[in-house]
Amino acid sequence: MLQAHSLLWHYLWVGPNIYLLVLAALLWRRGIKKTHPALLLFCVVASVSQLVLYAADILPWVSNEAFWHVLWTEFSIESIIKFILIGEVFVHIFSPYSSIASLGKTFIRVIGVLFAMGGAVAAAITPGPNQHFLVSGPHLLEQTIYLIECGLIFSILGFAAYFRLNSDRMSLGICLGLGISACVHLGTWAFSAHNIPKETSVLLDFLNMTAYNIAVLIWFYYCLVPSKVPVRSAAVALPENGLEVWNRELERLIHQ
Amino acid sequence: MTLAIVLIVVAAVALIFILRFAYSQAMRVSPRAGLAPQIQPIDVEAFRNLIDPAEREYLRRRLCASEFRVVQRKRLQAMASYVHIASQNASVLASIGQAALHASDPQTVEAARQLTDNAVLLRRNATVALVRIYLAMVWPDANTAAAPILAGYMQLNVSAMLLGRLQNPVAPLRISGT
Repeated sequence: MLQAHSLLWHYLWVGPNIYLLVLAALLWRRGIKKTHPALLLFCVVASVSQLVLYAADILPWVSNEAFWHVLWTEFSIESIIKFILIGEVFVHIFSPYSSIASLGKTFIRVIGVLFAMGGAVAAAITPGPNQHFLVSGPHLLEQTIYLIECGLIFSILGFAAYFRLNSDRMSLGICLGLGISACVHLGTWAFSAHNIPKETSVLLDFLNMTAYNIAVLIWFYYCLVPSKVPVRSAAVALPENGLEVWNRELERLIHQ
Repeated sequence: MTLAIVLIVVAAVALIFILRFAYSQAMRVSPRAGLAPQIQPIDVEAFRNLIDPAEREYLRRRLCASEFRVVQRKRLQAMASYVHIASQNASVLASIGQAALHASDPQTVEAARQLTDNAVLLRRNATVALVRIYLAMVWPDANTAAAPILAGYMQLNVSAMLLGRLQNPVAPLRISGT
């Protein structure tokens, strides 16, 4: 069952991409394209490109070389759109807070550059599993991209946690899905960059595909299931009754 | 293989943090009753004295250089404690403000928005000020940047009071000692 081209393998590759297309259609109908255009773009492009890659893998007349070219193209396009999506999530989380929006922008740019440099260094010292760059290149590229992605998601959530910001439901779901997928992929790519047996490599593929499935289901849940509506109340019991004295003293201080 | 282990550890740590953050966001309950008692009153007058440049100049004139550095380091430590508490209070107030954003009264919502923004700004300033205070401990002769913290804290107080008044006129929120 845990073998390449088994039924489970086909499902794990095709299933989430079909779900993503369905999600894109549902989001389109809900008018999400105005607020989350990058998410919509990601759902469509990532799923279509993955399906093209799947077709390239199973069609017998597609040569090995052509498959790797398709993989390069697919991953490059998907990576660019992922970063656009992360940028969109960042805007959604931080733009309501004008006091830290610009600081957050600077912070995330610096983090992005640092992780890009770290990824480049890691790629430079990683021993390629294959002599041919056409084959080993995507491994290194994926390791680098997932490292940057992990770093960006981690930093955005860390920044929000530090300032105790509540992220909106969709942004949280997107971050969670991308984060889980990126972390699992980073771990497996780092492991498989070394010469590992074919069977282990296939198992890692299954792990990656399962993680992506989970990520897609998380996006479904966070994007389509509405959150609990908080109880609206005007009066909230706040502690201690010393407002008048405190206010008087503070006003005196302010006007000194 | 060392690099692979490092990257796997990085990925695992990031994954745990991301899951924990998502869990904390999902489990976040209304902090009405739970958070307000965490606010520690600050003696604003004492803090104002600590950051007063005139006080500093006075000490510099009256004390010899080595004594001044010792005293100034102690003052900076005290200053850092105040800023740290102000930062924690800001963090609590940010949570209270965000919870109050769901109130039905538009005035309360506006006050909550203002409180949250001021609290976030104060936390940012406090972080920057703490860095500069700790740097100033190395060079006690350098100026610190704690003055904007006081201004920010005053503004935060006003926002918190306004929100407290709107939410419950008889149970105010107190974040500064007199």
